[in-house]
Amino acid sequence: MEEKRIGVYVCWCGNNIALMVDVEAVSEEMKKLPNVVIAKNYKYMCSDPGQDLIINDIKEHNLNRIVVAACSPRIHELTFRKALENAGLNPYMFEMANIREQVSWVHTNREEATRKAKSLVVGAINKVSFHEPLDKRSVDIDPATLIIGGGISGISAALLIADSGNKVYLVEKTGKLGGHTANVDLTFPYLYSAQQMIDFKIKRLINHPNIELFLDTQIEEIFGYVGNFETTLKINTAEKVELKFGNIIVATGLKTFDPSGIEEYGYGKLPDVITSSEFEKMLLHGKVQTKEGKVPKNVVIIHCVGSRNKNYHEYCSRTCCMTALKYSNQLRSALPHSNIFQVYADMRAFGKGCEEFYTQSSRKDIMFLMFDQQNELPKIREAGKKDNCNLIVEINEKLSGEPIEVPADLVILMTSMEAHEEAKNIAHAVGISMCGNDFYIEKHPKLDPVATTTDGVYIVGTCQGPKDIPDSISQAEAAAARILAIILQGSVHVEVTTAFVNEEVCCGCQTCICVCPYTAISFDEEKNVSVVNEILCKGCGTCGSACPTGAIRCRHFTDKQILSQIEGLMSITLEEV
Amino acid sequence: MGEDEKNKKPKLKMAVYWGAACGGCCVSVLDVHEKLFDVVAAADLVFWPIALDFKYKDLKAMPDGYIDLTLYNGAIRNSENQHIAMLLRQKTKILVAYGSCAHMGGIPGLANFSTKEQIFDRIYCDTESTENPEKIKPQHIYKVPEGELELPIFYNDVMPLDQVVCVDYYLPGCPPQTERLLEVFMAIVNGSELPSKKTVIGAYEKSQCDECERKKTENKKIKKFYRPWEIEDDGETCFLEQGVICLGPATRGGCGTRCIKGNAPCRGCYGPPPDVSDPGAKMMSAIATMIDANDPEEIENIIEQIEDPAGTFYRFSLPGSILRRKVV
Repeated sequence: MEEKRIGVYVCWCGNNIALMVDVEAVSEEMKKLPNVVIAKNYKYMCSDPGQDLIINDIKEHNLNRIVVAACSPRIHELTFRKALENAGLNPYMFEMANIREQVSWVHTNREEATRKAKSLVVGAINKVSFHEPLDKRSVDIDPATLIIGGGISGISAALLIADSGNKVYLVEKTGKLGGHTANVDLTFPYLYSAQQMIDFKIKRLINHPNIELFLDTQIEEIFGYVGNFETTLKINTAEKVELKFGNIIVATGLKTFDPSGIEEYGYGKLPDVITSSEFEKMLLHGKVQTKEGKVPKNVVIIHCVGSRNKNYHEYCSRTCCMTALKYSNQLRSALPHSNIFQVYADMRAFGKGCEEFYTQSSRKDIMFLMFDQQNELPKIREAGKKDNCNLIVEINEKLSGEPIEVPADLVILMTSMEAHEEAKNIAHAVGISMCGNDFYIEKHPKLDPVATTTDGVYIVGTCQGPKDIPDSISQAEAAAARILAIILQGSVHVEVTTAFVNEEVCCGCQTCICVCPYTAISFDEEKNVSVVNEILCKGCGTCGSACPTGAIRCRHFTDKQILSQIEGLMSITLEEV
Repeated sequence: MGEDEKNKKPKLKMAVYWGAACGGCCVSVLDVHEKLFDVVAAADLVFWPIALDFKYKDLKAMPDGYIDLTLYNGAIRNSENQHIAMLLRQKTKILVAYGSCAHMGGIPGLANFSTKEQIFDRIYCDTESTENPEKIKPQHIYKVPEGELELPIFYNDVMPLDQVVCVDYYLPGCPPQTERLLEVFMAIVNGSELPSKKTVIGAYEKSQCDECERKKTENKKIKKFYRPWEIEDDGETCFLEQGVICLGPATRGGCGTRCIKGNAPCRGCYGPPPDVSDPGAKMMSAIATMIDANDPEEIENIIEQIEDPAGTFYRFSLPGSILRRKVV
């Protein structure tokens, strides 16, 4: 076996580390360890001169393993791996000890912090001693894209990708394109016609030579990995089509909340209590009227139905406040002499043009009444014979503190957005995760909002969380751009720190198969062993810890590496205590 | 001496010894039945206290490396076990840790969940059938009018053989399957190339499940743990899939799935497959992934159902595991 020649570099990070950790003492101590050829400390290891220090030492002293004690590997592991590569070493012959976030920033006693830093570095030295070189791998990208969902998000993404000259397969469960946008009359805050916007896009989509459209179609399980997915489509529950594609956009949209469960509102029992979607239909037909066909004299719009309440959904559905204001505007034009009441919990008018829209709308003789969404919902009851209206809405008005009875002939419930009832099936088919409320989880809530933890799968529009049309389109086009970038590269690097099965040891107990969050493990009946698809594998290590035989090894995190690291961590503490 | 005898290979010199053991391993050597004639034809037994009348002084008188093969069974519980283990090491070319106790500590190793004091208190004072008002306990040295009496020192820890001497091979099992012993023995007799030192012999690389004939699927979802007598075993389905803890997946094959064929789950006597340093931890980790619940409280309740987890997962391996013993 090749002689192990380890270089250890302790970073000061300016004063960040050096103030709390005696970096000189740490590097001196490491010199005493077997196989450590060189141990140095330097002001900024991540700087160019810092990296050059490593590169020159590798060349001059034939180092074959490097440890840098500095910040979190999340910040600079890649930097140093590159430095190793530049010096002709395999980038995985490297280990980082985090003595900033885990030591200098969180401790106040210099002596103890230094001791802890030492033990972390000894752990890293022990681990790197057992590192093995790993080779980069890449896969070719199939330039076709599968888009699930023919709403505004799916359509927007499809057009962008198809316009670039790449193939798109658009799958829609129903027989109609346009999703919820197609059921909307005007849009807030500029009162543009939703129909005109979406019809134009749908027309272009249907005639696009690069888009293949599948209506009334369901997808079955999707197999494969980024660049090389495949699935079977079921059209009209009969005909089957097999497809291959490199990337997936999930744009399955939303479902509107069913308010029949909220007793206070009597939806389903009181005929003139309707949902916002039902009201949109009314608007699209051009006639606002009660069930009996009369012009409503009093229209009450109740906000936050199913939103922001722990009994239903805790989240805000984001679009209902502005939609409700849009209704006031449309109602005011249609019924100039009627009374219009906005019964709201909080008026949320964020977003471009929205606060202005609120100000404008409030000047149109609209009554705003506030209720306590957490503790006391308004109650709707049938009006008495003497009342000059159909319904009475009882509110404990929050601003005045007075109980108020509002007359109503028509009540519109601003129902919340919720995850699609088939979200779970799609998540399973595609291999992505959902959060507690069944919306899909993005890879990072701030920094990577359209990707998922499964490479090659993107989530856009309301399947990721409630949002309006421009936000959905932004997300859709962002995902499309991400996919185009990958198609342009032609290939992608895949994780190399993956798990693999030692077939000599695997006994076929199949414990590993269902623990894999990436469905990367399958069972080979013939050989009676588990098989890891190393392109699907993300190296999370779950199977390695579940495997009772030790047949599954996680590259770069083998038992041997981890146990020796633990031993290193313990050695300093034990010596000095 | 006839021509035939002259051409014969020189006979092996073989020893069998027991440390802290139940005697089962020695009996397993006798279990070769009529094959004993083959053994005796190929080897002279030069030391085997359970069966043959050799004395300590005979062993001591042997030159170093005199014995070709020693099967040491039993764990190291006291200074005598250790002393003879060291002596045998000195006198032996190939020292085999024979059986679970020598291999990993075995059943006697479960004593590492207690201290020496706790064990003495229980055995010599507290058991229901003990009558010992003066609380007399064994002493290492005891003075009597005739002189000093000496007993071996009872250690606080039980150790596997390799924690006191250098071991050449491990032949696991409680006791080892006799066929495996014969295979190993014949390989040595026939001068076959032996595997690299410090490895397990007489057992397979693959664990029990590979041989086990029960039906296995990926559907190992446990909502409730059962002890074997609490379920009506269908005799066909994987024990784990029925909620019965079976150490088969974390245990080397080689025994012929004896327990499982007798409708009892594997208890782990053959020890871990290669590369696994702590079979108990491995199996616990595997079992943890099978628990079919996401709610922490429900998970806790399911785990609570495991009777004697330490004794279950470390039944044969405690002293040889990373854990080694209970910290007191």
